[in-house]
Amino acid sequence: MIAKTKYIPDGKKELKELPILHYLDADFLFYPVTSARCPEGETCVRGGQFVKIGEVLGTRKGAFFEQPMHSTVSGEVKGYEKSVDQSGNVVDCLIVKNDKKYNLHPSIIDRTNEEIDALTKEDFVEIVKEAGLVGLGGSAFPSYIKLQTKDKINVVIANGVECEPYLIADYSLMMNQPQEVIQGLIYAMKASGAPKGVIAIKKKYTEIRERLNFSLKQFTGHNIEVITVGNHYPQGWELDMINRAVGVKIPQGELLSKYGVLNFNVSTLQSIYNAVKKRLPVLERLFTISGNGVHNSSFRARIGTQIQELIELAGGYKDIEIPKVLILGGPMMGTNVLRDDIVMTHTSTSLIVLNEEILIEEPCIHCAACVYSCPVDIQPTQIMSAYKVKDKDALKMLEVNKCIECGLCSFVCPSKIHLTEYMRSGKRLVR
Amino acid sequence: MQAIKQTSPYVRKQVSTKRMMIDVLIALIPVVVFSIYRFGWDAVIRILVSLILMIGLEALIFGMMQKVKKTDKTFKERLKTKYSTYTINNVTAPAISAIIFAMLMPSKIPVYAVAVGAIFAIVVVKMMFGGLGANIFNVAAAGRRFVSLALTGMFAGVYVGMDMVAGATPLTALKSGMGFPAVLNSYPIIDLITGNIPGTMGEISAIAILIGLIYLIIRRTADYRIVVSTFVTFTLLITLIGLKLYPAQWFEFVLYNIFSGGLLFGVAFMVTDPVTAPVTRPGRWLYGLLIGSLIVLIRTFGAYAEGVAAGLLFANMFVPLIDYAKWSTNKIRPRFVIGYVALFIIMALIVYFGVGGTVL
Repeated sequence: MIAKTKYIPDGKKELKELPILHYLDADFLFYPVTSARCPEGETCVRGGQFVKIGEVLGTRKGAFFEQPMHSTVSGEVKGYEKSVDQSGNVVDCLIVKNDKKYNLHPSIIDRTNEEIDALTKEDFVEIVKEAGLVGLGGSAFPSYIKLQTKDKINVVIANGVECEPYLIADYSLMMNQPQEVIQGLIYAMKASGAPKGVIAIKKKYTEIRERLNFSLKQFTGHNIEVITVGNHYPQGWELDMINRAVGVKIPQGELLSKYGVLNFNVSTLQSIYNAVKKRLPVLERLFTISGNGVHNSSFRARIGTQIQELIELAGGYKDIEIPKVLILGGPMMGTNVLRDDIVMTHTSTSLIVLNEEILIEEPCIHCAACVYSCPVDIQPTQIMSAYKVKDKDALKMLEVNKCIECGLCSFVCPSKIHLTEYMRSGKRLVR
Repeated sequence: MQAIKQTSPYVRKQVSTKRMMIDVLIALIPVVVFSIYRFGWDAVIRILVSLILMIGLEALIFGMMQKVKKTDKTFKERLKTKYSTYTINNVTAPAISAIIFAMLMPSKIPVYAVAVGAIFAIVVVKMMFGGLGANIFNVAAAGRRFVSLALTGMFAGVYVGMDMVAGATPLTALKSGMGFPAVLNSYPIIDLITGNIPGTMGEISAIAILIGLIYLIIRRTADYRIVVSTFVTFTLLITLIGLKLYPAQWFEFVLYNIFSGGLLFGVAFMVTDPVTAPVTRPGRWLYGLLIGSLIVLIRTFGAYAEGVAAGLLFANMFVPLIDYAKWSTNKIRPRFVIGYVALFIIMALIVYFGVGGTVL
């Protein structure tokens, strides 16, 4: 197929129809002390100590920021054990034994509207920082750093595109709690001083647009607009989405705030709402188990839940004899994990289990389907040839660093060449 | 449960190289059927010889190019290792080249010439460069060019018309015989379209070729950019010549040039070969411009009446230049549009002055 590929089968329809189970019966909850962005961390609780929901358990330390970790259940601190986190690494985890009473920490009390009106920009940044909020779309970038920008912000965008197949976390959030998203957007606008807010969703989600527009009627006096963008992949890539939604072209590698734009995932905005209004950290997320190698199911579960328990609850794996590919996140850009004792973290939205398919790589016939499909207009096939001969100059001239690793080149290749992997190797070579 | 290590993306599109190859074979069916209808066993024998030689030699050389494992002791084991990566594409790809090559041959050419051309095409032009996807010249065109250069004598009196009497092809007639517009009496435009003329086996029926071309473009197996660019460039330049030389009958001249010779067959099946084409959008437009203008230049000013194969091979040589990493890009930039138009104007001027045009 010598043509630009924009649409990929998304498989969301079946998943949207699944009932959502609220899982609160986990006996032990795991809290990773370190994460991909924070290589160091320390805890401030002792074994045997009783903690309550929202209590600070410790701090993860990154290169230029610190991030507190909170308990999402009440119970007794048991000790440490190793487990797999969202990035696929084996990390130390603090274990809390759940007493299933779900007692809130005394500091968790709602703020009144008057209190919120009185909050300054610094207060908002402080609240978001204290709650340990990160980009829940998958980047896990600390949200307070985005909010504390000194640049003048013209528009705050809520990214609800979720273009990857099999992911429905943002969809069901906007369907079920649109008010919280809008409220979070209003707080983010207040914190950054932006006069305008935009919620970007896919064009085909008419039901979401109606739902959001209906909810917006409660919030008068705010300039918030629901804008529909394309249905294609990777529309959720922020630069493409911003260009489509508000018409601001931002070159790759530049800070969004320089162009007067702030972009948050809708789930992040909901967590901002919870932090500001209810003083809560992120407690729960929607987690979907999908793919042809497992019984599919949707859960609402506490951060720290072992995903293994959810898999068993869903009905376990199908066709045990076929080897499986376990993916955290979406099938295009997600992380591959080799063990299923995974801990749910802030950015976990989905586990996809696929039966292994053996692909045979054929020679490249220069059909250029990858070149036509590339969203950043680089030439994957030429980069592959340059990488094979380790030609660093050619790799630089071909701008391999522009690659966003969206996976479309591998997806479209008729010869089943794993071009995305060549792009990653090429990037490593020129680094 | 056994977990497998993979890297993203984990899902793939339902397309394959196999499908693209088979699409081309399907698109060739009308042309092949028409040639067999016209030339009977002559066509069947030449197509079969070409097919057997190309597929067989590709398989043989493919095996010679593979390494054996040290653990392979018997001949059978070694053979198994060597052909472990041999796929359907190693059959369909040479089959396409073989059929296209046979279609470029006249029906009465000695089988010997077909064999020589097929062997040269597959061994030298394809396998010596590394096999599937690695050749830089179009396999069928190079084979055809080789035969007509090396065995020129064998081409005397091999083109036969409907009555099986040897005759000149419309383009040779135009070039050396009657000249325009006298050729219209011997070769009316309607005969050119239906295939009632002497010519090579594949090129004569415009209708059969167009069916194949439409199928290829609908299936997106051929890139329409090269097709459009080549065809439009050719037509515009020929129109320029027609207006200058035969102002009264320029339209007939243009139609005569489009439907005679291998232009349509080349545009449908040869220039669309992705292996030897550039990989970017602007590159493909430029490539089509080059082929189109080279065909006109060769036909009008060259020693040969026919220029598709030579023009294509010449344009193939420019592909590494077009695809050079420093300037190749998939974006249609203003500077590309300016360059494209400028190159077209240069070609038009060359053609215009070449046919005796003067500055007012």
